[in-house]
Amino acid sequence: MFRNYLKIAFRSLMKNKLYSSINVFGLALGMACSLLIGLWVKDELSYDRFLKDAESIHYVRVNFPYNGETVTNNITPGPLQEAIAKDVPEVAAVTKFNWGDERLIKVGETAAKEKGHFATDDFFGVFDLPVLAGKPKAALAQPNQIIVTRKLAEKYFPATAGQYQLVLGKTLQLNNDKFYVVGAVLENLPTNSTLQFDWLVNWKEQEQDWMKTWGNTSFSTYVRLKPKTTLAQAEMAMKDIYPRLAGKNFETGVPVLQPITDLHLYADYKNGQSVGGRIEYVRIFAIVALFILLIACINFMNLATAQSAMRAKEVGVRKVVGALRSSLIGQFLSESILTSLLAVVLALGLVWCVLPTFNEVFGKQLTLNLAEPMLWLIMLVLVLITGFLSGSYPALFLSSLQPIKILKGVRLQFGSGPALFRRTLVVFQFSLSIFLIVGMLAVGRQMNYLRTKNLGLDRENVVYIPLEGEIANPKKLETFRQEVMRQPTIVSATTTMALPVNVQGSSGDLSWPGKDPNLQTNVSCMFVGGDFTKTMNIKLVDGRDFNLDSPADSSNYIINETAAKLMQMKDPVGKEVNFWMGTGRIIGVMKDFHLNSLHQAITPLILCFDGRNTSYLLVKTRAGQTQQAVADLNQLSKQFNPNYPFTYHFIDEEYESLYRSEQQVHTLVNYFGMLAILISCLGLFGLAAFTAEQRTKEIGVRKVLGASVSNIVGLLSIDFLKLVLIALVLATPLAWWAMSKWLGTFAYREDLSWWIFGVAGTLAILIAFLTVSYQSIKAALMNPVTSLRSE
Amino acid sequence: MIQTINLQKLFSTEEVETTALNGINMDVKDGEFVAIMGPSGCGKSTLLNILGLLDNPSDGDYNFYGTEVARMTERQRAQLRKGSIGFVFQSFNLIDELTVYENVELPLLYLKTPPEERKKRVEEALERMSIMHRRNHFPQQLSGGQQQRTAIARAVVAKPKLILADEPTGNLDSKNGEEVMKLLGELNDEGTTIIMVTHSPYDAGFAHRIVNLFDGKVVTENFHV
Repeated sequence: MFRNYLKIAFRSLMKNKLYSSINVFGLALGMACSLLIGLWVKDELSYDRFLKDAESIHYVRVNFPYNGETVTNNITPGPLQEAIAKDVPEVAAVTKFNWGDERLIKVGETAAKEKGHFATDDFFGVFDLPVLAGKPKAALAQPNQIIVTRKLAEKYFPATAGQYQLVLGKTLQLNNDKFYVVGAVLENLPTNSTLQFDWLVNWKEQEQDWMKTWGNTSFSTYVRLKPKTTLAQAEMAMKDIYPRLAGKNFETGVPVLQPITDLHLYADYKNGQSVGGRIEYVRIFAIVALFILLIACINFMNLATAQSAMRAKEVGVRKVVGALRSSLIGQFLSESILTSLLAVVLALGLVWCVLPTFNEVFGKQLTLNLAEPMLWLIMLVLVLITGFLSGSYPALFLSSLQPIKILKGVRLQFGSGPALFRRTLVVFQFSLSIFLIVGMLAVGRQMNYLRTKNLGLDRENVVYIPLEGEIANPKKLETFRQEVMRQPTIVSATTTMALPVNVQGSSGDLSWPGKDPNLQTNVSCMFVGGDFTKTMNIKLVDGRDFNLDSPADSSNYIINETAAKLMQMKDPVGKEVNFWMGTGRIIGVMKDFHLNSLHQAITPLILCFDGRNTSYLLVKTRAGQTQQAVADLNQLSKQFNPNYPFTYHFIDEEYESLYRSEQQVHTLVNYFGMLAILISCLGLFGLAAFTAEQRTKEIGVRKVLGASVSNIVGLLSIDFLKLVLIALVLATPLAWWAMSKWLGTFAYREDLSWWIFGVAGTLAILIAFLTVSYQSIKAALMNPVTSLRSE
Repeated sequence: MIQTINLQKLFSTEEVETTALNGINMDVKDGEFVAIMGPSGCGKSTLLNILGLLDNPSDGDYNFYGTEVARMTERQRAQLRKGSIGFVFQSFNLIDELTVYENVELPLLYLKTPPEERKKRVEEALERMSIMHRRNHFPQQLSGGQQQRTAIARAVVAKPKLILADEPTGNLDSKNGEEVMKLLGELNDEGTTIIMVTHSPYDAGFAHRIVNLFDGKVVTENFHV
């Protein structure tokens, strides 16, 4: 019997190739899409869970009260780690390391920048990482040893060919300076790790005096709690550290812990509490995945129902020759399960094909692990649910038909309940599509806004070179800078501590005569060298730039308009202020420029003139001559800094990287928007076919009575267009709300305007009309004689 | 042996009520060949559907080989119908996706006949209807006569006591029609009870008895030899 079902199922699939392929392909597309999102979500949720005893590892932040609120520092001062190690018995191990540094690593001719950390001795007490060779714990305690990952071992010692024991004892040169002996080789860190480094060296190797102060907040601190110790207990025990040890200005600090498994997804802190973060995107996409799957299932069900009308005769015959209702239900269900099985296989194939591209776009290492029983379980459940959902209506409906009616050729009358249901589904699908179209347009517009926004400074044709090696020496640096500026391809050059499109440093230390003693301020600050405003093309509304020839400038300051407003100074130039370089005068006021991503409003900014505290050389090249300018810089770099490979980046790249996560959202919205529209169209196509089939007789009669083809097409299309209009009405407020919320995260944005909804609606209507018209025209062109004779 | 007493059938829509059968009393003995005749709309097919357990009467009794079936549920009727009634239709009603062989095999599948027995009986029936050579063809590849012979093969393969034929020659030319009637006659000679609805007086001539219906009532009964 089952073989008979299979035979029928297969033959009816083959008989209606168009339908079958639409049906199977649509479902497969939906499944593939949600499978892909599922893999992504799973990966996002898996961050740092590979660590041994991950649940006992915590990241340390520090809360400070500030103007009645609480601000959270995501990095910690150096002495905190020592205080925790000494005074908090709840903690089994604590480590700190510097923010991921890139340092030059050199072995023979091979030299490149590699990311790594200087970490304190107990690093491996906190992170029990998989070891390939050596004793990492002992190695880290040694001042002259280095721990590398498998990647680095293979890159710098290819001759050892995977025998990591042989890498131990080899030497590496760090930063063209000291040589280190490899003391251990670690397995590479997976991409779903928030910890990312390729080498580790003992903390003491780079420790400087400023790192031992409570006022300098620069390091990541992690603790491992003792078994059975709760986060609250540990926090309680850390409460008195700041009041006791941190001294004036810092005694209000309160260390707070976050489980490392939350670090990736819940990194946003507001008023001292975690308020989410990337988890929002994870949730949104999980919901989108479910919706897409739902839509695909609904379509499958709709198409199966529509097609089942053609199977009515078979049902009648089967009943007449002795089929019971239960065996017919069984037949239809096994058929739809078979089809969804086909779709799952296709979906797996699709995922397999697009996974490499997906990984590239999103910087992931997702894999479709066919050996994982969970995957098969999910697939099985998916097949059964989809099969049952899509097969149940035709199975129950058709099996209930009276055989005599079918065999008499009475046209099947599907009740109004299912019709309403189908219409609701179309409305639902198109609402989602319109929602996503609006999303595509609004996100696209904001992305364009971000890209083209005038920031108040030049970000085109600005190259920056990290300062290291010889040119990190302030004296040599100035000669180098002067030489750079002499090149005809180069307009100007300056040195800075931070990149002006992403200024992270800030301070509460600014004071001026007449300042309200209760006012807490937080101003952004930057160390710059000569010609800063000229190089970045920042307008000075008053005063002048720093001048190398004016020794007094080393304690003078330049501020921006917002800072002038903060200090309530009408005419700031010449006024006295006190900041890091001591008491000095304001010599210039810059027009406000955006010193962070456009998520943030422009903050008060103060510039200090200091040629020593610098990290980058910023070079403005002549428009159109950037390539030559880079070649010239390369030449000069070789001359001045022969031991380091020449590296350079563009400021606008740095600027774009501020929006990496938005860029990913943009890409995802575009892809899934198009997919949702495609799947919705498939559904509409099937429904149109079904309706046309149901109304054959009506169409025949109308044609006999003189209706033209366009009359009929209009008649059949108008119903669907109505549904799309309803969808537009439903989707508009929802899309408005969601997009306003997203745009609300930007301090500067392109607000929504009505035309976006107009375009989305028109697009949806156009797409719907094109989809439906094929069926409508086909039905309208049918010879009425044929359609009436069958009655 | 089947017997109906005062069989009524009403069809009602929201607005109108139509009486299709109005007090049919009818006996059919084992081995009989009965033809039902009458003008379009007189209720012939309705009667045949009730006799074939495809439909329930609105009122009256129907005794089917000793079982009272008039008020049975669809499920019970389907159980009873299986294997005991064969149907032949004017429009053949073969399943297009199945071959001749598979169409004929279908009733035995639902009866859960063992495979060997099934093969034997399907081949017998095909042989009997002279369409063995077409066993692997699909219905669309056959002539009307061949399709109807397949349908008859399917009707007899389960060896039912009763065959119901609804204008079995209606879609056939006279030569093929003649052949189909001869086959039905032979089946009847072997003991199968046949009830046939027809418009054709010629076809009715093959029956032992003709029941004439008019407006849902039996008006006359003619006996042949």
